[in-house]
Amino acid sequence: MSIRIEQVTKLYQGIPVVNDVTVEIQTGEFFVLLGPSGSGKSTLLRALAGLTHIDHGRMSLHGRDVTETPARQRGVGLVFQNYALFRHMTVADNIEFALRVRWVRAAARRRRRQELLQLVALEGYDERYPSQLSGGQQQRVAVARALAHEPAVLLLDEPFGALDAKIRVELRETVRAVQQRIGMTTILVTHDQEEAFALADRLGVMQMGRLLETGSPEELYRHPTTRFVARFLGAANLFLGEVSGQGLRLGTATLTPDPSAPQAAVGTEAVLVVRPEDIEIALQTGAPQSPPFAGGKVRALTFAGHQQYVTVELDELSGVETATGDGRGAGEAVSVDALRSAAEQSAAPLSLGMPVNLGVRRLHALPTPISSFRLLTGDAAHSAALEANPLLTQLLRSMQARVIRQPPIGARVERLDAGICVLPLAADTPDAIGAAVAQGARRLLCIPPLTSLPARMLIYAGEAMRSSALLALVSSAMRHLPVPTTAVTIQRPEASRSEVVEAQRKLLDTRADLRSAHGLDLRGERFVGDLRSWLAHVAAQPEPLLIVLELPATPETLAQSLAGDLAPLFAPGSRAAVLFAIEAAP
Amino acid sequence: MKLFGAARLFSRPRRQQILPGFGLTMGYTVTYLSLIVLIPLAAVVLSAYGLPLTQWLEVLAAPRVLASFRLSVSASLIAAVVNAVFGLLIAWVLTRYEFPGRRLLDALVDLPFALPTAVAGIALTTLYAPNGWLGRILVPLGIHVAFTPLGVIVALSFISLPFVVRTLQPVIADLDQDLERAADTLGAGPLLVFRRVIFPALLPALITGSALAFSRALGEYGSVIFIAGNIPQVSEIVPLVIMTKLEQFQYREAAVVAVAMLLLSFAMMFVVNAGQLALQRRHLGKR
Repeated sequence: MSIRIEQVTKLYQGIPVVNDVTVEIQTGEFFVLLGPSGSGKSTLLRALAGLTHIDHGRMSLHGRDVTETPARQRGVGLVFQNYALFRHMTVADNIEFALRVRWVRAAARRRRRQELLQLVALEGYDERYPSQLSGGQQQRVAVARALAHEPAVLLLDEPFGALDAKIRVELRETVRAVQQRIGMTTILVTHDQEEAFALADRLGVMQMGRLLETGSPEELYRHPTTRFVARFLGAANLFLGEVSGQGLRLGTATLTPDPSAPQAAVGTEAVLVVRPEDIEIALQTGAPQSPPFAGGKVRALTFAGHQQYVTVELDELSGVETATGDGRGAGEAVSVDALRSAAEQSAAPLSLGMPVNLGVRRLHALPTPISSFRLLTGDAAHSAALEANPLLTQLLRSMQARVIRQPPIGARVERLDAGICVLPLAADTPDAIGAAVAQGARRLLCIPPLTSLPARMLIYAGEAMRSSALLALVSSAMRHLPVPTTAVTIQRPEASRSEVVEAQRKLLDTRADLRSAHGLDLRGERFVGDLRSWLAHVAAQPEPLLIVLELPATPETLAQSLAGDLAPLFAPGSRAAVLFAIEAAP
Repeated sequence: MKLFGAARLFSRPRRQQILPGFGLTMGYTVTYLSLIVLIPLAAVVLSAYGLPLTQWLEVLAAPRVLASFRLSVSASLIAAVVNAVFGLLIAWVLTRYEFPGRRLLDALVDLPFALPTAVAGIALTTLYAPNGWLGRILVPLGIHVAFTPLGVIVALSFISLPFVVRTLQPVIADLDQDLERAADTLGAGPLLVFRRVIFPALLPALITGSALAFSRALGEYGSVIFIAGNIPQVSEIVPLVIMTKLEQFQYREAAVVAVAMLLLSFAMMFVVNAGQLALQRRHLGKR
């Protein structure tokens, strides 16, 4: 294991800009950290280089723990976006800098410099000053300089950001070639998806300080886990579908998913990802060769050289629902983005307004438990108030999810088992929860009136902590909220030593499960007392918190638990938001 | 008309300027500079012009004049060097760190600019005189500041400090901190980072600032005459010699000393600018 990053957290004014990131990078691997600006990717890289102090976690390079090691002793090579060459030194002096400070003899220095200049194809530029070189050449000098002292890892911080498109591609190839020739473990940080695909052996996507997903570019492109990754790595159509016995139901059609996709229980709602190039457009006179799913009209055509972008507005009869909430008003038609090759264009020429049939070549179902949000409130005013709550606003924004306003419970019998039900936290909430669970709700979010995001997310690691439903819900919440997350175990004051050890072991198991199933990490905390006293303690905290709990499914035990241990949550003055997962029926 | 002709010679605009009137503004620039700078300088040179060379040398070689030049130049140089060191430190602290009172401290740097020099001189004299606050401590230790060359150095350091600080501050603020980070990851310790990375980058500005401080110190009069005591051949500076000669109606001799001083200043400016240019050519290329 070349690089090990464990639970690394960096706080900026109390907000985690890098949030419990755990990742391992193999020797010789080219790992790309991809993310939008402000996602924490550069901070993580600089922390690894030793330039930024971290608030929590450990880092090791080749088995050597470097968490406390100053940057100059870490043995990393770092390349900056703006080159950061020493302008008053020649290329030769720049490259030899790391050797000079290590008192390497002149002859050895010269040899190494020649080697490196050859590696980056800049032989003969020794005596030039940086100002006499082009941007691309300067960055190659910077790469050579970073490799001079034979570092353990090479770290590249947006190295091509300041370059022209053409030179960028050229230099990208140089860097890849150099990396492969010397087999150097490398991390590159970028916000450019194309660059990431071109370079990465393995890719990690970061957002809001979390490492959302890691995998090979192809894996992540074909089988993303989150909506964010699905849309960040190229365009994607996101639909709401349902898992049925025969496959996935999308509108009125039933389609076969990718065989490698994880299986979900029949009847659950799913978010379906269809890449534009996987949509087949057939003229109305013919049927598509791939499984058909809807008909529609051509809304827009955009010429892009060898390809053509087509936007098709679906017929309402198709029954297809979009999974995203980007500004689409109710009653507006769902549209689909498709991408056609030149061959397809000539086979079936399109014009605006033309009716077409659509087929799906390939589709992928996101394994997310939160496919949509259902607001369970009395009226529209309450719904609007709930939607304006910072917690829900943040979740909707980062999940790019859709809100469905549900009529009050009891008014009409609806299935509530899809997605997550949201309700305001008040004294009568326990009854509302009972009613919603009776109608099949599997996940519930109860929100008190908040003025800011919860400061922390606390997961009650009780007996059922390792249930996969709870873990999935936890991972989904962790990926979409920029708050520190802690699993809390509760211990009786008179707990015996073996009980303490057992609780500790459970926590470690939970962490391992979360890591292997979702690639996320969290921290543990212990509370001495019982569940009721813990909830009373957290509900009374001055700063709002988000608590994640599992609830029993049977009506009697549910009511008993809501009125008993969980009562402090619904007491007046409680400021904690609560996320409930309902235990799977035995 | 003549001015506009000259303007045509210089202008040859490659493209249309947004603001017109190069000819007019250039005319005013030349006129103003002539009136304020060139003509007075020329007058000084002219008033000394009539004197034959032997008399020039005689005036300048007088022990009192020679001693004053020695003191002026050496004290200004020492003040410039002292300020180069502490000015760099102050500029660094004021630019790089955030601390309560930073803005107040920053404003304090300008005080020597703002204070009338005579006030500064009186203040320093009161402090360092044998019965002053500091003098009372220093004199028993054998350190005499007031009425000695050391006093001259103290006064000159005081008035020339802002030049170094204010020249360096914007350069330090512009300094890319990634340079230090790069050097850090390459294995250089703090001292090496300063010596090999930061100092070379600041050197041109440091030289400019020190040269400005030196020039200012060379011409300083008001603050020095109080603390120096003006003992001939011991603590008498060149501007005071000129003043004395003027008071004794030796206008020509005063002009000779003044011209010598002028030449010295010019030589200084020339050397510094040439050095700057060479440094820039070599290290930074033409930007």
